[in-house]
Amino acid sequence: MRRFDYASPEVADEALALIGPEARPFAGGTDLLPLMKLDVATPAMLVDVKRSLPSGIEETADGIRFGALTTLAEIERSPVVHEQLPALAEACALAATPQLRNMATLGGNLLQRPRCWYYRSPLFNCWLKGGDECQARDGENQQHAIFDLSPCVAAHPSDPPIALLLFGADVTLRGPSGERTLALDALLQAPTEERRTESTVGEDELIASIRVPAPPAGARSVYLKAMDRKIWAFALVSVAVLLRVENGSIQDPRITLGGVANVPVRATTAERTLAGAAPSEEVYARAAEEALDGAQPLAHNAYKLPLLRGLLTQALRRAVLTD
Amino acid sequence: MTSLHIDVLRSGEGKEGEYKVTEHEPLAPWTQDTTLTVVGKPLPRVEGADKVTGRARFAYDVHLPAMLFAKVLRSPHPHARIKKVDSTRAEQLFGVRGVLHSGTAPEIDWFKDSKLFDATARYVGDEVAAVAADSEEIAEDALRLIEVEYELLPFITDFRRARDPSAPRLREKGNVATEDGEPKVYERGDVEQGFAEADVTVEEEFTTSSALHNCLEPHGCVAQWEGDQLTLWDSTQSIFTVREEVAKKLELPEHKVRVIKQYMGGGFGSKQIAWKHTVIAALLAKRSGRPVQLMLDREAENLAAGNRNPTRQRVKLGAKRDGTLTAMSVTIEQSVGAYMVGGEGSNTPGLYQRLYKCPNLRTEQWPLYANTGPAVAFRAPGYVEAAWGLEQAMDMLARKLDLDPLDLRLKNYAAADQKRDKPFSEPESLRRCYETAAQRFGWRAYKRQPGGDTRKRGIGIAAHEWGGSGYPPGYAWIKLNADGSADVVTGTQDIGTGTRTSLTQVAAEELGFPIERVRLHLGDTAQGPYAPVSSGSATQPTMGPAVRAAAHDARQQLLRAAAVYLEVDPIKLRVEDGKIFVEGESGHATTVEEVTQRIAPHMIQGHGARGPNPEDVSVRTFGAQCVEVEVDTETGELALLRLVASHDCGRIVNPTLVDSQVIGGITQAIGFALSEERIVDHARGVVLNANLEEYKVPTVHDVPPIEHARVDVADPSANPTGSKGIGEPPLIPTAPAIANAIYDAVGVRITENPITRQRLLEALAAQKPGGDR
Repeated sequence: MRRFDYASPEVADEALALIGPEARPFAGGTDLLPLMKLDVATPAMLVDVKRSLPSGIEETADGIRFGALTTLAEIERSPVVHEQLPALAEACALAATPQLRNMATLGGNLLQRPRCWYYRSPLFNCWLKGGDECQARDGENQQHAIFDLSPCVAAHPSDPPIALLLFGADVTLRGPSGERTLALDALLQAPTEERRTESTVGEDELIASIRVPAPPAGARSVYLKAMDRKIWAFALVSVAVLLRVENGSIQDPRITLGGVANVPVRATTAERTLAGAAPSEEVYARAAEEALDGAQPLAHNAYKLPLLRGLLTQALRRAVLTD
Repeated sequence: MTSLHIDVLRSGEGKEGEYKVTEHEPLAPWTQDTTLTVVGKPLPRVEGADKVTGRARFAYDVHLPAMLFAKVLRSPHPHARIKKVDSTRAEQLFGVRGVLHSGTAPEIDWFKDSKLFDATARYVGDEVAAVAADSEEIAEDALRLIEVEYELLPFITDFRRARDPSAPRLREKGNVATEDGEPKVYERGDVEQGFAEADVTVEEEFTTSSALHNCLEPHGCVAQWEGDQLTLWDSTQSIFTVREEVAKKLELPEHKVRVIKQYMGGGFGSKQIAWKHTVIAALLAKRSGRPVQLMLDREAENLAAGNRNPTRQRVKLGAKRDGTLTAMSVTIEQSVGAYMVGGEGSNTPGLYQRLYKCPNLRTEQWPLYANTGPAVAFRAPGYVEAAWGLEQAMDMLARKLDLDPLDLRLKNYAAADQKRDKPFSEPESLRRCYETAAQRFGWRAYKRQPGGDTRKRGIGIAAHEWGGSGYPPGYAWIKLNADGSADVVTGTQDIGTGTRTSLTQVAAEELGFPIERVRLHLGDTAQGPYAPVSSGSATQPTMGPAVRAAAHDARQQLLRAAAVYLEVDPIKLRVEDGKIFVEGESGHATTVEEVTQRIAPHMIQGHGARGPNPEDVSVRTFGAQCVEVEVDTETGELALLRLVASHDCGRIVNPTLVDSQVIGGITQAIGFALSEERIVDHARGVVLNANLEEYKVPTVHDVPPIEHARVDVADPSANPTGSKGIGEPPLIPTAPAIANAIYDAVGVRITENPITRQRLLEALAAQKPGGDR
């Protein structure tokens, strides 16, 4: 790892005054430090925000609020999350390892960079790092995206945002000119020619908190994740489902997908199919098929189509199942 | 006092022209009926407390005053001529104490046909330069300041294309890594005739991927010079190999090089040769006049310190309707990587040649160069790969013949070594393993349980044979101290398997001492007599007999001394638990301590050597494993439900240690079967997952309950302890047993490992709807 300067301000304003393109915020370090060891990230300074940003889980009138520093382990163990946002608790529990979850913060997790092996290799100046070519597109892309959202085909690696998008979370940022709040799907966006990153957070901004509106009464949520190992692997495909069954029909269904695109995505066509339908294997199968609408698998990841179909079918069965 | 009687005999085996020094009078072997009190006990590891408290010092823990840290610059290109290396800026960096590269290092021959710092880089990760500095960070900074001018050369990383006429060549002669460019062929009987006689044949192509050893402790060493005396703390499976090689490379007499290895964080075969890091550290230490530590990082470990050779095997089996094999043939291509490194060979044809009785057999083996890191022996080298092909092909044959896969194996049972044309020393050994595993697993009575609508269950079996006989030479000394305690000194090493403990048990047993009165010393070339590399599952069967012989020698001397004091015939004396008894008398007559104190300060010294292996039989090890799996046909989720393993390693010296080898070996095999694979971008020549994030070793959640159904039958003809090796065998049958169980469950045959979600789902998708299951 290269040398860097280190600051640990006590208040957020001081941290905000320090951060910029070369001075990056540092919390759990589970992503940034590996990137620095790989010489892919080379910040001149780390600004430790662990003393200056909020942490903890709070029930408020408009939902559940998570301080940016809340660890995945805290969320996984939180009774209120288990009670109201089970898919989020499951997403956290299925992420990484207990050691990593003890360190990793929710704010940092939203901004985790892709685990694409071309992006992480110092031998390639891939498109996402400012180069001209996405090597994964014609290379070893078995773990990569099946929805083509940008010149980059890396899949977003984080589990919790799949569940957060499911519940319609929004994120509050602090910047030099104050606070702004935006929906999660406005924060996480496929990279563009000008913005070679998966988030719209400015280099002078910090995530302060994440708010999740309370789901409708009686709603059930499920998160399922397929891996190449029982634990400690990024999702090949993951699915989150939120719905409730009322008078024999599915109400307010939401479906989000992970491991399939640059960012977490919603399966809106499938949601429409489910809305108002009576639960049945046929409906699940149709919704699962529709979740694949627009998918364009690469040379080595066509298996993600049946995987997504199977995983979503199972998630729907579980969500509908009454205790 | 007796001295060691030795003969110099012409060896029938091993390297041509090799002589072996053997004991004159072999000890009477411990047979199945011999009553033993220490051997066979599940004693805790003697070094256990040192390990769990952190007292045990590994190479990484050796920190000497003023020690420097070294790092290696590695080629970013798969194949390139190094035109110029300019290290001026690196040398000027504050804290840099030495830089080595092709322009500044002595020209030292390395591998078969290369140099320590060669003018050609042959894989991404090949050594180009090295730096020693005050800290690891400074050394890393310095590496970035070294400017290298490369001329890029055409490369080939996919060995399956290495024989194409158009393939780029790694060597002038081509990419076939044999002396004459021809494959190694073994043939017996008439294969064509055998296939003509067959009622049924099966033919399939299997491929195995390159697994990476991923020792928890990477390769590395600390080198220190005191005058012209070099001491190396090296993480190695063979202190004497390292001493010999380093002495040769640095043109030093062997007594000026001392190699120490007390504790080991895993080797699995990859640490059985002398690697470049040791000589680089020694050269940098010499130049800087300071001790140097050079530990590989995980990426270097996974690129440059060995891998299991990937293979492609085209297998054909022919059989009569009743299952009798009439012919077998296999063509094996296997990649050696960019260099031939030596050490234990990857004998992929070996399993095909011995496991089943078959009069007509042909094996053809093509070792091939490719621009990837050098392959090196990996726990049961060749056999793990071969079992993937052979044991699945046998399963296919059983299904085609509508026979129970176990019955097909029993039908073709081999009681003799068909390659050496000798009976096995324990001809019923494998049958015992089949019976024990099948019975404990409930193979015959298996009733398929439905796991649910989308979950299907199935069972699979696979078997193996392997070496593990041990071999001479190997020596041990014993010193009896005045207080009646014993120091056992050997030049072997404990590579984490528990050798310290199991050899201590052998010594205590033969001496008749309580185990806490015996201390075993190993892992230091300056202290103990020669012992061979710890590989080939050979350490216990090689060193156990040597230690027993030394203990026997010491005990005989002790009893002769006691006999003088007791005024009896020494033949009437025996030692038990540190006490000396006279035949026919009740109660003990004296104690070991009384005798050793009476003769002190004179000292009893015992000497022992490993005797020759029997000439008339072939000493091999065997095993069988059964596994039950569940496959979710919707998602390709695979669950291993249970696994039963039965392996015959002769007499079990310590059941806990053997269980550890079986469970650890199967765990590693589960990685090979399901998740471990070096991923290479062949178009770009780059390994993409030389790390522990994307190279997936199994976690505890990936390992099912493993039952070790012990066999524990002494093989007295193997050696005087009746024990054989167990380090490698447990890996061999696991992966094909799993693949066979998957076929049993869902009817898809996975011919390429590991069985990832991708491969399983692709196979399920290709399966015809409404097929045969």
